[in-house]
This record gives sequence, C-alpha cells and structure tokens, in this order.
Amino acid sequence: MREPSDRDLVRRARRGDREAAAALFRRYWRDAWRAAFAITGRRSLADDVAADGFERAFAALGRFDERRPFGPWLHRIVANRALDLLRAERRLSDEELPELPDVAPVHDSGDRSLLASVAGLSLERRVVVVLRYGVGMTPKQIASALDLPVGTVNSRLARALEQLREALEVEHVE
Amino acid sequence: MSSELERRLESLLTEAPEPDPGAGEEALHRALRALQPAAPTHRGLRTAVLVFAAAAVLLAIAAGSLAAAGALHVSFGAKKKPAHAATGRLSLPRGANGVAAIVDGRLSVAIKGGFRLQVAASAVALSPHALYVAAGIGHSLVALAPDGRRMWSHPAGGEVVAIAWAPDGLRIAYVVRHGHRFVLRAIDGNGTDDALIDRSVRPVRPSWRADNLAFAYVGGGGHAIVYDIGHEKHSISGTTAPVTRVSFAPSGKTLAVATPGSAVLGGKTIVSGDIEALGWRDGRLAVAVEQGVTPPLVRIFRQNGRPDGSFHAPGRVVAVSGGFVVSQTPKGIVAGQQLAGARTVLDVRPGTSVRDLQVG
Repeated sequence: MREPSDRDLVRRARRGDREAAAALFRRYWRDAWRAAFAITGRRSLADDVAADGFERAFAALGRFDERRPFGPWLHRIVANRALDLLRAERRLSDEELPELPDVAPVHDSGDRSLLASVAGLSLERRVVVVLRYGVGMTPKQIASALDLPVGTVNSRLARALEQLREALEVEHVE
Repeated sequence: MSSELERRLESLLTEAPEPDPGAGEEALHRALRALQPAAPTHRGLRTAVLVFAAAAVLLAIAAGSLAAAGALHVSFGAKKKPAHAATGRLSLPRGANGVAAIVDGRLSVAIKGGFRLQVAASAVALSPHALYVAAGIGHSLVALAPDGRRMWSHPAGGEVVAIAWAPDGLRIAYVVRHGHRFVLRAIDGNGTDDALIDRSVRPVRPSWRADNLAFAYVGGGGHAIVYDIGHEKHSISGTTAPVTRVSFAPSGKTLAVATPGSAVLGGKTIVSGDIEALGWRDGRLAVAVEQGVTPPLVRIFRQNGRPDGSFHAPGRVVAVSGGFVVSQTPKGIVAGQQLAGARTVLDVRPGTSVRDLQVG
C-alpha cells in the first residue's frame, strides 16, 4: 500500500487525526533531532529542541500553508529554536559554546583536528556546515530553514571551508 | 564538485548519533497534546492566560476589599468532599485552591476541579489562586493549564531548579542550573520577555514582594538580595549568610530569611536553632524549629517581630505554604492550619523524596 504523502498527513492532522499526526512525527523525528543535535552538540538540548520544535509545529499546524513542504518548515522551526537557545546561552555564559562532542567515533588525529576546527567556527558558520555535511541539506533547504538568502548560505559555507582548510594547513605545518 | 575536505566532513559529521527512543516517545506525547485543530491561535492562548490571570487577581482584590469593608463574606474551601489520597498522588487540603510538589522527581499537582498530573519535572510553582502551574520539564520552563495542556514552553538552557510566580501572575522568577552555576531569570506570565537577572545565585526559590515590584533571592555569596524590577537594582538585604530561604510577607515589605541556625525577620534575629521551614500564615510568620526527639515547634511571629504563640507539628515540617503547615510523617505528608485537623495530602513510602511542596 502506498504511503500517504506529507500533504495528506498534514491535512488529516489539522482535522485532529492523531494517527496522522503521529505518522508525521515518526517520519521526521529522527531528522529533526539530528538537526537539533548538529546545531547544539548536546543530546539533552537536542531532545528538548526537537521536542519543542514539534510541539510548536503541531500547535501552529492550523496556520501552516499546506501547499508548502512540511519538512523544511519543521527544520526551520527546530533550527531557530536551537539557535535561540545557543544565543541565549552565549549571552549568559562566559563559557565557550559547546564543542561538537560525540559526533562521530574519531579514528585518527586528522579527524580529531578537523572536528576541533569545526567546533572552532563561529556559530553562524558552524550551523551551515553541520546542516550541509552532517544532515545532508542542500544550500536551498538550509536557506529556507534559517530564513536566509541562498547566497548568504553559500558564502558562509565557502568561508567556513576556507577557514577549515587554513586551520588544517597551519596544523600540518606546525 | 566535492573537495577532499568536504568528503572528510561528510564522513565525520554524518555519523551523528541517533536519538534515544525514550526521548522520541516523550516528544510524541508532547507534540500530540499540542495538536489542537479547533483551538485559538498560540498568541490568543497566551493573551487568554494573561487576561484570565489578571482578571482573577482583580476579582480577588475586589473581593478582599469588600470583605475588609464587611460587605462580603469571603469563604475558601472545597465544596465537594475531597477524594481520598492515593499513593504518590496529592489531595487537596480543605480550604486550598491547589497543591503541587515534586515527588520522587515527578510533578504531582491537585487543584479544584480535579486536575492531576504525573510527569517528570525538576521544579514547580502554582500561579496565584492555583489557576496555572509553572514547571521545569527537561530543560524548559513550561506553563500548564488546569486541563494539563501546555500553554507555553520556554527553553531555559538548563534544568530549572526553582520557580516563583508573582502575586499578580504577570511575571515569573526562576533559577536555572547552568553548568556548575545557577542563574536567575525572569519571564512574563505568558512566556515572553525573558530576561537575565543574576548570573550567579543559589538554588533557592525566590520570593515576590506583595506589590509585585521586587523579589528576593539568594545570591552566589549566600546573602539575601532584593531585586527592584522598576529600577533594575540589586540590593543586599542584611548581613546574614548563608541564607537558605527567603520569604516576603503577603502584605507590606517585610522580608523573612532563614539560615541553617536562625530565622531573621526585618533584619532582627527572632529564632536561634535548626530551622526546618519558614513561611507566612494569616499575615504572621511561622517558623518551624527542629526540637530533637520531640516534635518540631512552630513559632508564630507578627510582622514587627513580636511572638504570637506556638504549637507542635507532627513529623518533620517540610513547608509553610498557602497558610498551611506541611509535615512529613510516617503516615505520609500532612497539611493543616494547626496540629489538630491536619489532613493527609500525600501518602508516600518512607524515603520518598518530596520537594517544592506548595499549597495555593
């Protein structure tokens, strides 16, 4: 049997169909959580941010334009919640922003250096890098999720890659 | 064209961990509860909370004024016979609007109309007249309506360890664990306008002044500090330290504080001894003092510091809240105005952790 489309599920969920809403949740929970984790770098925060994102999305489903795709809209909510949270933390903490812990089992020193360099990127650049290479979103999807022009996403990606290359080269020379 | 660096990034970052199944189940539960096809907009709900809270306060003020003038007899009390306490569940003491506590790490609430809730939580506070509940759930501050629905949720950036709702319901002060530190923040009663108040505090429940214009909390150095909202000014109150509890009088500006070995009212030490609890009851300060093998003594003081009687309470006094003295006894948690007439509000096994108990 054919899987119902996002649009069908959204339409039914808007009418109060909890099964359709649960199906929508199961379809996107893993991606939403991984996006939240990619940005926050912490499991506990990812749990909260992704859950909060779904809660807000479902509460606002009545206002959602169902002609638009559900996934990018949800990702946008999740990404914005994660960024708000990190910015709030940065405001009230002198501590460094969380590094990217436990993202992957790091096998060699080269991987460790690269991961450390990613963690050293500014929040704005790091987010686009992890959404692009960690979550697999296209620049257009990232632009939609973060409410940015595609050009800005591309330039942040380019500058982030340039910064990472420089950091790795410096380390190699040293 | 994908570069070597991009391939390495993909290989490193795509191996991200998976979410825990438990987190997904809780999130699904939360999300489904937010699904309200026929409900008003979120903004509408928030406005409704604010308007409802403000209306209730105005009504209470009006009723209080009439009562003071002798024009109206105000009577608080459950009309229905309260249900028997079930193990681990709170029951409403007679005359109260609501009771809430964290029992073994789970939020337990009972208010008029039968609202009961059992979810994992780190802190809880009742709104004025127990119309709403604010709770620390996960790393968020969450406001819940009487039917258990989430009115709003605000990411706090850490575990919320203490919450205090202003008497007019329009502002909430709360303490968040932030790494090794505790941070004090305040937010509007509708979940907007969150603000940092102090970067270093102790995990003690703040206490609002009756005029809603200031609240007391315990700073990182252990002193009681009064924060004036209008002037955004922090003032250290007295030299007593380390303060373990702060409690503003329900009228006027008198502040009572407790330390491990004394109770101080308006800057004057009124009790020396091991303080179990401290709070206000009928406009007078009640201080529960540990007495060794004999039951704790609850001493009553007027706002000017003059003694006004005393009585013994059973077990160990865990709170003085909403005019009730609440004790943990071998039979459970009991709440009463005096020793006689105390009612069991919670049946718990010995060793059960009960925190943040509040009667409203």
